[in-house]
This record gives sequence, C-alpha cells and structure tokens, in this order.
Amino acid sequence: MRRAGLFGCALLLCVSVANSEDNPFMRVPGAVFRSALPLGKQYDVQVRSFLLQRHPVTNGEFLAFVTSHPEWRRGAVPVVMAGIDYLGAWTAPLEPGPNAAADRPVTQVSWFAAEAYCEAQHARLPDWYEWELAAAASASQRDARSDAAWRQQVLDWYARPAGGALPPVEQGTADLYGLYDLHGLVWEWVHDFNSLLPADADPEKFCGSGALDIQQKDNYAVLMRIALLGSLHGSDTGRIVGFRCARDGGASR
Amino acid sequence: MSRPSSLRGAAVTFLAAASMCAPAGVPTDSIYQLHAQLTTQKAALTGLDLYRGHPTLISMFYGSCRVACPMLISAMQAYESSLDDASRARLRVLLVSFDSARDTPPQLDRLAKLHRADPARWTFTSASETDARRVAALLGISYRRLPDGDFDHSLLITLLDSDGRIAASTTTLVGDGAFQASLRAATQPRTHEDSEH
Repeated sequence: MRRAGLFGCALLLCVSVANSEDNPFMRVPGAVFRSALPLGKQYDVQVRSFLLQRHPVTNGEFLAFVTSHPEWRRGAVPVVMAGIDYLGAWTAPLEPGPNAAADRPVTQVSWFAAEAYCEAQHARLPDWYEWELAAAASASQRDARSDAAWRQQVLDWYARPAGGALPPVEQGTADLYGLYDLHGLVWEWVHDFNSLLPADADPEKFCGSGALDIQQKDNYAVLMRIALLGSLHGSDTGRIVGFRCARDGGASR
Repeated sequence: MSRPSSLRGAAVTFLAAASMCAPAGVPTDSIYQLHAQLTTQKAALTGLDLYRGHPTLISMFYGSCRVACPMLISAMQAYESSLDDASRARLRVLLVSFDSARDTPPQLDRLAKLHRADPARWTFTSASETDARRVAALLGISYRRLPDGDFDHSLLITLLDSDGRIAASTTTLVGDGAFQASLRAATQPRTHEDSEH
C-alpha cells in the first residue's frame, strides 16, 4: 500500500494539466506602488512585472485539476489542508453539478488547494502587492483608485447582498491589462494571506509593529480585502473565496 | 548555497516537488500531512514529521531577531524545564526559520549552541519561502518580511501529539497554566509503556 501510494504520487508529476489556454496569463508591468498596507515604514512598494490569469479559476478548470490529481478531490484532502466544506457546492467529487457550472468561479477552495492548483500549472498564487497593483486598474488607468466613479462601481459590488449562484466569469469589462473580475465576483486568495496582520491584533503577539499601520482609510474595498484575508486560516473554504494564479513575468515576456 | 548533490538529496527534492503528498498512516488532522522540506543545523534535509512518535513543541522564528525570538526560545525552554526528567526526555522541540537566506545551517548551529539547546531533542531548521508559508498556515502563524530584513511575525508555541495533531498552543511566553497542563499530559508515559515496567 505504502509503495503504491508513493508511486502514484510520483506519477502525478508527469501528468501535467494544461488547461490554462482558456485562462491565459496577462502581463502586468512592474511599478512602484503606494499600497494600503505599508511595508514597515515604507509606503511605496516595488512590484516587479508579473503575469496574472485573466479570470478567477473556474469550476471547469478546477475539475480538470482534481481529475488528474486525485489527492485534491473532495473527501481525499486531509482536513488539516481543507475544511469539511471543501468544494461543498459540487454534486460529487468529480461532478461540479448545477450549483457549480463550468464557467463560474470555483469557490470553497482552501489556500492549500489553491497553492496546489497553481503549482500544477507551473504557476503560483499572486502576492498581496501584486494583486493590489492589478486590482487598482480601471479600463483606462493603471491607478484608478482616486477616480470616484470607478471606486463607486467597485463599492457597489460589496454593497450587493451575497447569496444565490455566482455569475460566470468575464461578464464585465476588462481592465487595461486585459484582466477580468478582480472586483465584483469573488474574493481571491493570495500567497501571503498570512502576512496581512489584522489591524486589531494584540500587539504583544507580534515581533515588530510596522504592519499594523493601515493606510488609505477611504480605500474601503481594499481594506475589506485585507481584513478578510488576514482573518482566514489556510484550510478555510469560504463560499465566495476563489483564486487565480500568477507567474513571474520578466522583461522578456 | 551548495546544491544537494547526493541522490538522496535529489530524491527528497523530487518528492517535495510532488506538491503536498503525505507519508502513509498520518491522521487527516495532522500537520504531518504537509510535505515540507526543512534544512537542519547539521545541513541535513528533513520533514515536519522529523519527531513523529514524540510529543513535540514547534514554533517559527528568524535568527537575527534581537528580542522576541530569543524570548520565544527561552520560553520553550522554560516550559520544558517545568517537566520532570522522564517527561522531558520524551519531548522534542522543532524550530522552523522563515529566513532561509540568513539562517543557514552554520547560523542555526550557532543559535542552537547559544541557547544550549539539547541536540538530542532540539532541532533548528529553516524552510524555503513556499514551505515556510505553508507551515505557518498550518500553525496559524503570520509573518512578513520588512525592507530592513526584519520580520513582523506572531509568537506562537504549538504542542503536537506524537502523530502531529495540534494538542494545544499558546501566545503567552511565561506561565500559561493551561498550556503547561497540556504539556504535562502529553509527555506522560503511555499506559502500555507502564505495563512493560
């Protein structure tokens, strides 16, 4: 049994899932960026050029992953890496079913599962600063955060009551990088979600204090993201938490 | 940094790359489900389950931290020093640095000696950024690297049972009575060991 398990595990390496054609990686040029979450006393952070998937990973894309990676199917994943609600909307471990149509973003996925999915695409989860930089763009501006109309549009989503089935991806308009749904559809895991120390944290529990100083208090949408992601555990499987993958994107790309 | 040149090193790297496959027989709620690669103060490659079979204290730190991390290590020593000799002999202690760039094996070794940590029961390790994030996520530890090379991080000591299940944890570095009690209970001899004597 033990041998078979190891062998099966090694075999999976060879079965590379190539389902990212429908969800291509778009280039986000690097920038020096004024983050809502300063890095110690440093408010402007340097983000290198990177690639980010065009839309949040869908149920259809995630199905291809669990098909080739049985250890990430519902019921097979250790509870320490995915809570009991993991893929809870799916009809069966290999059947998303009517409540999780192929073109809707996959949710109820833990951070560990999102990490594993991206690894299988030879990619990774974006870091918070990468996500924040990408999500600051409108269709015409790289940094639309001071654009009142754009900001209102973003806030309108957060004000909409949750519940009911999620809409399909790519229904709105793309931003100037060609990315969809950074706002308005789901929350998204980032690789360093457990670096966004919650602002109300007990200072005695931390070594250092810089991370507790959150800027841009009027940037409500982003602050909500930080608060939500900072409050999650890696095995959490929230109903509106999905993800998309990123890759390093050097100057040659 | 030297590359792992041996076949064994390559095999470990290969298995670690096979995402998060777990060793056989590990309970579903055990943190030993995570296949993380740790480098010890003796430059050996090991996994989170290094001390499987023993109750284990585990925490994360970085070696160049001037105040909080030495306090953390001292606190772990204080907790174990309150045990009787036989109980303490059953306990193991695993420290994982998230600063693998600076916490090289010689640096970890210096740190272990500085703290006079019992080498038979204590291991200082470091992990890559990817693996350190995953270990931190399992333990519920937050950390972030600051531009000056320091880290903001939570101070958390976790007690694992012999199969890697979280039995108790504390953020209180001195005198958490409930944690102390859990530690005492976890390091008691097992009943079948009693009957053998």
